Amino acid sequence: MGRADRGSAPGPPPAAAGFHFVDVAPRLGVDRVLLAGRPEKDHLLDSAGSGAAFLDYDGDGRLDIYLVNGWRLDGSKVVERGRNALYRQRADGSFVDVTEEAGVGGEGQWAAGVAVADYDNDGRPDILVTNFGRNVLYRNLGHGRFENVAARAGVEAPGWNTAAAFFDADGDGWLDLYVARYVDCSLDDVLAARRTLTWRGLEQVAFGPFGLQGAPDVFFRNVHGRFVDATREAGMTDLARGFGFAVRAADVDDDGDADVFVANDSDPNYLYRNDGTGHFQEVGVPASVAFDANGAAQASMGIAAGDVDGDGLLDLFVTNFSEDFSTLYKGLGSGFFADVSRETGVGPATFRALSWGTALADFDNDGDLDLAIADGHIYPQVDRHPEFVGGYRQRNMLLENRSLRADAPAGAPPETLFRDVTARAGPGFQIARAHRGLAVGDFDDDGRLDLLITALDEPPELLHNESAAGNWLTVVCQTAQGSAAPPGTKVTVKAAGRTMIRDVAAGDSYASTHDPRLHFGLGTATRAEEVAVRWPDGRRTVRVNVPARQFLRVRPPEP
Amino acid sequence: MKTRVLRRHSLPLALSVALIPAAAAAQGRPAGTPAEMVAAYDAVADTILAANKAEKKVVLSILAASYAHAQGELGRARQALKANDSAAAKAALENLAAAVGQIGTEGDNAVAGIRKRLLEGGHHANSEGEAQGVYEEGYVVVTRAAKQGFLASSKAIAMLAAQPNADALETEWKKVEAAWSQHVASAR
Repeated sequence: MGRADRGSAPGPPPAAAGFHFVDVAPRLGVDRVLLAGRPEKDHLLDSAGSGAAFLDYDGDGRLDIYLVNGWRLDGSKVVERGRNALYRQRADGSFVDVTEEAGVGGEGQWAAGVAVADYDNDGRPDILVTNFGRNVLYRNLGHGRFENVAARAGVEAPGWNTAAAFFDADGDGWLDLYVARYVDCSLDDVLAARRTLTWRGLEQVAFGPFGLQGAPDVFFRNVHGRFVDATREAGMTDLARGFGFAVRAADVDDDGDADVFVANDSDPNYLYRNDGTGHFQEVGVPASVAFDANGAAQASMGIAAGDVDGDGLLDLFVTNFSEDFSTLYKGLGSGFFADVSRETGVGPATFRALSWGTALADFDNDGDLDLAIADGHIYPQVDRHPEFVGGYRQRNMLLENRSLRADAPAGAPPETLFRDVTARAGPGFQIARAHRGLAVGDFDDDGRLDLLITALDEPPELLHNESAAGNWLTVVCQTAQGSAAPPGTKVTVKAAGRTMIRDVAAGDSYASTHDPRLHFGLGTATRAEEVAVRWPDGRRTVRVNVPARQFLRVRPPEP
Repeated sequence: MKTRVLRRHSLPLALSVALIPAAAAAQGRPAGTPAEMVAAYDAVADTILAANKAEKKVVLSILAASYAHAQGELGRARQALKANDSAAAKAALENLAAAVGQIGTEGDNAVAGIRKRLLEGGHHANSEGEAQGVYEEGYVVVTRAAKQGFLASSKAIAMLAAQPNADALETEWKKVEAAWSQHVASAR
């Protein structure tokens, strides 16, 4: 029995087969309301929301939770500056708010996103909070305490910072940082905002992003714990000033270094290809990830990376605005992609929703990656016209990957790769809110991946996975000192004739950070034939004949 | 967050009007737009129409530069393939792919930034064509259909960089030439 079972809301009993998620946040004490501007969302900042993270900040082996918070406004007045929240997981699976004693309340900033990584190589996870304002970098001092070192580390970068990714661009062993940014505007602009844009000739809604100037993204090189703006030197100048919302670093061309994918709202996405020295070329157009299959830029919000079809190549999923497909780009090898949204069923399933945070993860442990998507509109006014896009508050979405389904009848017609199973995914997936951030992690260590999802003006949901699920293996990659391995660490597992790949995510989703432990569903296999870890410096560790249903800790070989 | 808005710049016109002497209005002449204001507006109209023509010429120049660059890279790719120099072929093909892509997008990301600024200011070079779905917002010369063709060729050529192949390159380049003749050269 997982720890959370002792504290979870009862909910309907899980089906004998299939998905079943229950929101256990209220019962387990995760209750911080996440503020988001004005009720009518007069400015896009009111609607952008904030992210969440799973992390083990105190190294006790239990996943903790960090939430970042916005402000509450009343017209042009600031009513309340929301405080971020750090929840430490107790031994009984419940959570306790330790924000004050840890010193991570957010410094009064309007927060957007959170990225967790050990930027100073001291063996402890640090927390970067991206803000509308100055970023905050909480250096983990150990013993449950943090200090904000953003100014002296050089990452304050005032502006509308959205999502960030720590990754080692140049292979020097220090995590560099990419920060996506959205619109160039001031707090005065936000406070003075009026709803001046006409939506369908029916409602006045928040203005933008057209009519507003994009804010250029920033790339920082980490020089022994101090960050230097290297945007231009690295070849990452945001020439188009795209409205950046999400970033994911990953080795998309499988050449051993980290490339960077940036999701831009209403502008072409960027793909920065790393030449192996930490210098980049923007190749989004020839790689076919800048636009959708029609050659049109989409309103990209969030990113999920993973191998959806088991071909060993990384695929990219990008969430989009309502009345437009979220887009699945199939990896073709060597860093090229093709939009396969329609034929995989992803496009039709996601057309109506306005989608944000997302993750590709194996929620039923059958060996393939399912899709979880956080949904919610940006205009509360749409509630007066439900015939168009449903409502402002929307249900999250779960798309089951059917590539490994065992129940396909012989001679059955071809089925799409993904199928919408939201309605049958338990009470946790029936909650309608204006959702935004999404993080995946197995917080109760029961071998099933849970979800942490934020929403505007409400507390988050902690969706406990109670699905009927297969065997599993979670690979915990650690540094030589025993701390979490850095983003970019990649694991390949071979089991039951399948090869599965995962990496410690740098970025991903929307403004959120997943559990760094790498989870593999094994289906009916009781062991993995091989577990291979490729460390960011190129070294490899291989284990063979590994039993299922365990957390396998792996450290790099001695140099 | 994808929404569209139209705005009109009124500042130049307001400035022009402000410079016209207001005396005529006070002398009891028959009603009608003062000739000075008509002349001023006429001058502004000339400027707007000239700016629109200039915009098209600039974009055509951008496209011509990309095409010329593509031809240069094509030549380098052919030479490299002939010499079995795979590294040089790869580099030339990647550059060629980028140039063809930039034809499809009417310039690189820096140009996209300018196009975005124009849209934000309410300027649409082809508003009628946009309404008909022929052009993407802000595009001046390259139609949606042409863009898709150039983007497909860009990707195909870029993929050739991994496995250079002279015949495949010629096939793809013929598509680029045909699209160029049909969609761009005819607009010059």
